[in-house]
Amino acid sequence: MSATAKTLDKLIKKEYAPGFVTDLEADTLPPGLNEDVIRAISAKKNEPEFMLEWRLEAFRHWLSMEEPKWAFVHYGPIDYQAISYYSAPKTREPPKSLDEVDPKLLETYNKLGIPLYEQERLAGVAIDAVFDSVSVATTFKEKLAAAGVIFCSMSEAIQNHPDLVKQYLGSVVPPGDNFFAALNSAVFSDGSFVYIPKGVRCPMELSTYFRINAAKTGQFERTLIIAEESSYVSYLEGCTAPMRDENQLHAAVVELVALDNAEIKYSTVQNWYPGDEEGRGGIYNFVTKRGDCRGRKSKISWTQVETGSAITWKYPSCILRGDESVGEFYSVAVTNHCQQADTGTKMIHLGKNTKSTIISKGISAGRAQNSYRGLVKILKSAENARNYTQCDSLLIGDRCGAHTFPYIEVKQPTAQVEHEATTSKISEDQLFFCMQRGLSAEDAVSMIVNGFCKQVFKELPMEFAVEAQALLGISLEGSVG
Amino acid sequence: MLKIENLHVRVDDTPILKGISLDIKPGEVHAIMGPNGSGKSTLSHVLAGRAGYEVTAGTVSYLGRSLLEMKPEERAREGVFLAFQYPVEIAGVSNIYLLKAALNAIRKHKGLSEVDAMDFLKLVKEKIKAVNLDEQFLYRGVNEGFSGGEKKRNEILQMAVLEPRLCILDETDSGLDIDALRLVAEGVNSLRSPDRSFILVTHYQRLLNYIKPDCVHVLAYGRIVKSGDASLALELEKKGYGWVDQLVSVGA
Amino acid sequence: MSPAQHYVEHYRTLALPGRHLPWLRRLREEAQSRFSEAGFPSPREEEWKYTNVSALEKKLFVPSVGTPTAVADTSALARLRLEDAWSLVFVDGIYSAEHSVTDGLPEGVIATSLANALERYPDRIEGLFNQAVPQDAHGFIAFTIAYFRDGAFVHLPPGKILDKPLQVIHFSTRPDGLSVARNLVALEQNAEATVVETYAGTGDLSYLTASVTEISVGENAGLEHYKLQSETVKGYHFGGIYAREARSARFRQHHLAFGGLLARTEIHAHLGLGAECELDGLFLATGRRHLDTQTLIHHRAPCGTSRETYRGIAADRARGVFSGRIVVHPDAQKTDAEMSNRNLLLSEDAEIDSKPQLEIHADDVKCAHGVTVGQLDPEAVFYLESRGVDEPTARNMLTFAFANEMVEKIRPSSLNRLVQDELLSSLPQSDIRKDWL
Repeated sequence: MSATAKTLDKLIKKEYAPGFVTDLEADTLPPGLNEDVIRAISAKKNEPEFMLEWRLEAFRHWLSMEEPKWAFVHYGPIDYQAISYYSAPKTREPPKSLDEVDPKLLETYNKLGIPLYEQERLAGVAIDAVFDSVSVATTFKEKLAAAGVIFCSMSEAIQNHPDLVKQYLGSVVPPGDNFFAALNSAVFSDGSFVYIPKGVRCPMELSTYFRINAAKTGQFERTLIIAEESSYVSYLEGCTAPMRDENQLHAAVVELVALDNAEIKYSTVQNWYPGDEEGRGGIYNFVTKRGDCRGRKSKISWTQVETGSAITWKYPSCILRGDESVGEFYSVAVTNHCQQADTGTKMIHLGKNTKSTIISKGISAGRAQNSYRGLVKILKSAENARNYTQCDSLLIGDRCGAHTFPYIEVKQPTAQVEHEATTSKISEDQLFFCMQRGLSAEDAVSMIVNGFCKQVFKELPMEFAVEAQALLGISLEGSVG
Repeated sequence: MLKIENLHVRVDDTPILKGISLDIKPGEVHAIMGPNGSGKSTLSHVLAGRAGYEVTAGTVSYLGRSLLEMKPEERAREGVFLAFQYPVEIAGVSNIYLLKAALNAIRKHKGLSEVDAMDFLKLVKEKIKAVNLDEQFLYRGVNEGFSGGEKKRNEILQMAVLEPRLCILDETDSGLDIDALRLVAEGVNSLRSPDRSFILVTHYQRLLNYIKPDCVHVLAYGRIVKSGDASLALELEKKGYGWVDQLVSVGA
Repeated sequence: MSPAQHYVEHYRTLALPGRHLPWLRRLREEAQSRFSEAGFPSPREEEWKYTNVSALEKKLFVPSVGTPTAVADTSALARLRLEDAWSLVFVDGIYSAEHSVTDGLPEGVIATSLANALERYPDRIEGLFNQAVPQDAHGFIAFTIAYFRDGAFVHLPPGKILDKPLQVIHFSTRPDGLSVARNLVALEQNAEATVVETYAGTGDLSYLTASVTEISVGENAGLEHYKLQSETVKGYHFGGIYAREARSARFRQHHLAFGGLLARTEIHAHLGLGAECELDGLFLATGRRHLDTQTLIHHRAPCGTSRETYRGIAADRARGVFSGRIVVHPDAQKTDAEMSNRNLLLSEDAEIDSKPQLEIHADDVKCAHGVTVGQLDPEAVFYLESRGVDEPTARNMLTFAFANEMVEKIRPSSLNRLVQDELLSSLPQSDIRKDWL
C-alpha cells in the first residue's frame, strides 16, 4: 500500500455517527402483512373510510405484482412477512407541544444535530420529525399557517385536510405504479404534507427528518407537496438509522404537484445506515419520487446527495406536462464498501417548449457498484423540447464499478436532446501531484471530489451544502488504496 | 433597384426597426453605420428573408417586385446576396458543391442551361485566386474549420461566382485584420459595376477607407437618424457614437 | 401452429450440413429445443425493448429445397458486386458456385461454403463454431444454430494478406423464403483481410434472412469488415456479428443499414490485450422501416482501445434504434473507450431511440460516450436558401452530408461508390447531384 493510500485508509475506520439506538418503549405491530395489518394501521391512525379502501385496493394490487429485477443491484430475497409495518414511540396522548414530547426523542434529534426547539434551530427552517412510523413534531406551524402554508404530518393532513388528500394523493404515483409504490400505498404510516396556496412564496425552508429506530421494522413514508399557481417552496429531507446487522426496508413515495408558474425545489441528503465494511446490515432504500409539472411554466427541481443505504433504487422524475415547464435533476451518489446504488431520473416531455437538465455525478469506491439509469422521453406533442444530460462517474480503487444506462426516446423532430457521459478515476498521479504541492492526501481527495460534485452542490440550500460536503468526506474516507 | 419604405420590424414583441426608408439606385454603394443593437443586422436579415422577424409595417420593393413576399431562395435567385456576419459551417457539404448548386439554381431560374463542368471549374479557379484562397478550400466542407478571415473571403468568393444584383455585406469587416480587410475590399471593388448595388452594414468606418460609398446612413434605435455622403462616416468616426445620441435627442 | 413447430416441421425432411458430426448434431438439438421453448425474443427482454419481432410469430417463412435456384434478375445481383473482389454468393441461403469468384486466392487461404468446409475441415470448424456468440444467446441465435443451411467459411493462415476485398453476398429471390446462414471468418496471426458482407433481395419480396457471423482475429492480425444491409422494403433481417480479438489484433467494422422492413444487427467484439476495435455505422430509416443496431464491446484485457461512431437518420414513419454498450472488465486496466452516436429525426411520425451504456469494473480507464438527437440545423438550411437553394434540396443536401461523412470512411473505393448510390437512392427526395460530388 502506498503512503497516500495508507493515509486515506486510516480515515475509513471512522464510525457512522448516527448509528446509535434510542431505547424507547414502542407500540409495534407484530411482523407480517395481510389485510388485517392494513386495517390495524388505518385504525391506529383513525383514518376515514376512503383511506382504508384506498390502502386495501393498493394491497390487492401489490399481491399480483412482482419485485422488479432490472436494476444493477444484487440482494437476497426479502421476506415481506418478517417485517413489522408499524412502530411508534409509546405516548399516552399525541403531544400538543414540544414540551410534551418524550425527552428521549428530543435528545435523539439533538444527537443527530437536529434540535427541534425553534429557538435553537436555524431560524429559516421548519422541521417535521418522523420517527419510525410516525411524525413526532412539526416546528414553526403557526408562522407557516399565517402565510397560509400547510406543513404537517400526513396523518394530520388526512384528518384535517381530507379533500386535498383525496384530490392529490396517488395522482402522480398511482397506487399500482410499481411494486414498491403499491406496498407503500398499502402500509404507509406517516410522512409530510405540504400545501402552498396560490401566489405564496413559502417564507422558510421546509424540512423533514426521517429516522428509523426500531429493529425489524420498515419505514414507509409518504410525502405529498402541492404548489398552487405562482407559488414557491423549497423542501429538504434528511434520513438516518441505527447500525444493525440486519437489512431494513425503506420504501417511500414522494409526490409533487406544481400548477401554473409554481416552483418546487426538493432536496435530499440521504444518509441511511449503509451497512458495515463487509456489507452486513444497512437500509434497502427503494423509493419512488415523482413530480408532475402540471401547470404552464411550472418547475420542479430535484437535488439529491445520496451517501447512505446498502442498496439504493431511486429515480426522482418529472412529468413535464405544462407548456414551457422545466424539470431538473442534480445528483451526487456516493457508494463505498459494499454499497450498491441504481439511481437516476426520468424526464417525460409532453408539453411544448419544455426543458430538462440532468446532472449526475456518481462516485464509487471500495467494492461498491454505482449505476446511473435515466430515461429522457420526448413525446410527439413536445414541440421544441430540450434536454441536456451529463453523467460523470469517478472511480476510486480498482474493485468498484460505475455504470451508465441512459434511455433516450424521441418522437418529435424539433426536439434537441444531448447526452454526455464520462468515466474517470482519481489516480495516484493526481494525488501525488497535489501532495507534492503541499496538500494532504485527504485534502487532495476532498478537493478533487468536491470539484467533481460542484455543479450539484451549488443547487442545495446553503446550510445543507456544507453538511453535504462534510458527509461526502466521511463517506469516502479511506477509500483510496 | 431597392426601395424600402417605412419598414417596421419586431422580434418576439420587441420593435427593432421603427420606420426605415432607403432608396438605392443601380450601381450605388450605401453604407449603413450604427452602434451595437441599433438594428443593422436585423435590416440585413429581413432583406434576405430570414425567419423569426415580423414585419409590422412598410414595404420593400426590389426591381419593381415586393421583396418581402419572396422566399429566401427566390430572393437569392433574383440576385439578392447576403454576406453573413457569421457564416455557418456545414460539415460534409463541400464548398464547390454548394457553389455549383447555387449557380445552377440561379441559372435555371433565369431559364439558362446548367453550367458546363469544365467551364465552371475554370470560372471558380479564377475567382478563388482573386480572393487569395487556396484551391483546396473548394473541396472542404463549407466554412468547416476556416479561420474568420477565410470565412469572409469565402463569402466574397460566392458573391463573385453568383454575380448578384444587390449585395448586402453584414459586418463583413468585423474580426478582420488589415490585410484580410484589404483583400475583402478589393474583392468587393472588383465587383462594382453600373448595374450592381451594395449595402455595407458596418460598425467601423475603416472599411469605407477601402470601399468608397455613395451614401452613408446612420442607424440608431431602429431609425435612420442621419444620411450624407462619404464624409459623414469620417465625421462619425471623429465624433464617436455618442454624437448619435445627440442627433437623436435633437431629432426628437 | 407455433413458429417453432412450423420450423421443426419444415426442417424434418431437409438434409442439413454436418449431420455426420456428433458435436454439431448435439449443438443443433440443444438449440432446437431452446428455440422451441423460447421462440423469437420478446420486447420484455431488456435487449429487445425497442424491437418487437412478434410479426415473425404470425408470418411463417419457408426454406428453399434442393439446389440453388438460378438468379433470374442478374442485374440486381450484378449491381451489388464489387469490382476487383473475390466473392462467395449465397442465393436463398445456399452457396452458388456459379455466381462466386474465388480464382487466384493466395495459397493456403480458404474461402468456401460452410457446408463444404464441414466435409473437408470439420476439426478446424469445431474449434471456431459457436465460440464467439454470447453465452446467453437469444432465440435468433439458437434459430441459426438449429437451422443453418450454409454460410461462408474464410480462413487465412498466419501472415497471409488478401490484397483485394472478399465479398460475401446473401441474396434472396423467393417470396416468403427463409435463409439461415452461419459464417465463420478466421484470421491467424499477422494475417490481414477485408471482408464485405452484403445482404439484398429481388424487387419488393418479403422474406426472412437470419445470418450469424463469427469472427476470430488472431494475434496482431487485422480485419476490416463491412456489412451492407440493403434488404427489400418488405424484407426481415436479423444479423449478428460476433468477434473475438487476440492480443494486439485490429478489428474495424463498418455497418451500413438502408433496407428491410424490420432489421436488426448485433455487433459484439471481445478485445484481448492491447487490441483495437473501431465500430462505425450509419442507418437511414425511411418509409415504415424499423432499423435496430446493437453494439457491445467487451474490454476483457488491459490496454485495449475502442472507438465507436454511429449516425442515424429516421424519416417518414420509420423508427431507428441504437444501443451501444461498453463493458470494461475488472482486469482491463488502461482501457480507452469512446462512443459517439448522433441522430437526425426528420419527421413528426418518425422515432429515434438511443441507449448508450457504460459498464465499468476497472478504475484506470478513460471512457466516454455522447448522444444527440435533433433536427437539421436551421441556420445551415437558411444559409443554403440564401444562396438560392430551395428548402427541400437544402434539407436533402444537409442530410446527405450528415450521412456521407460515415460513407467517406469506407476504404475500398468500389464499395464506397456502391454505398453512396444506396444512400442517394434512399434519401427522401433523391435530388443530390451525384456527378458533382
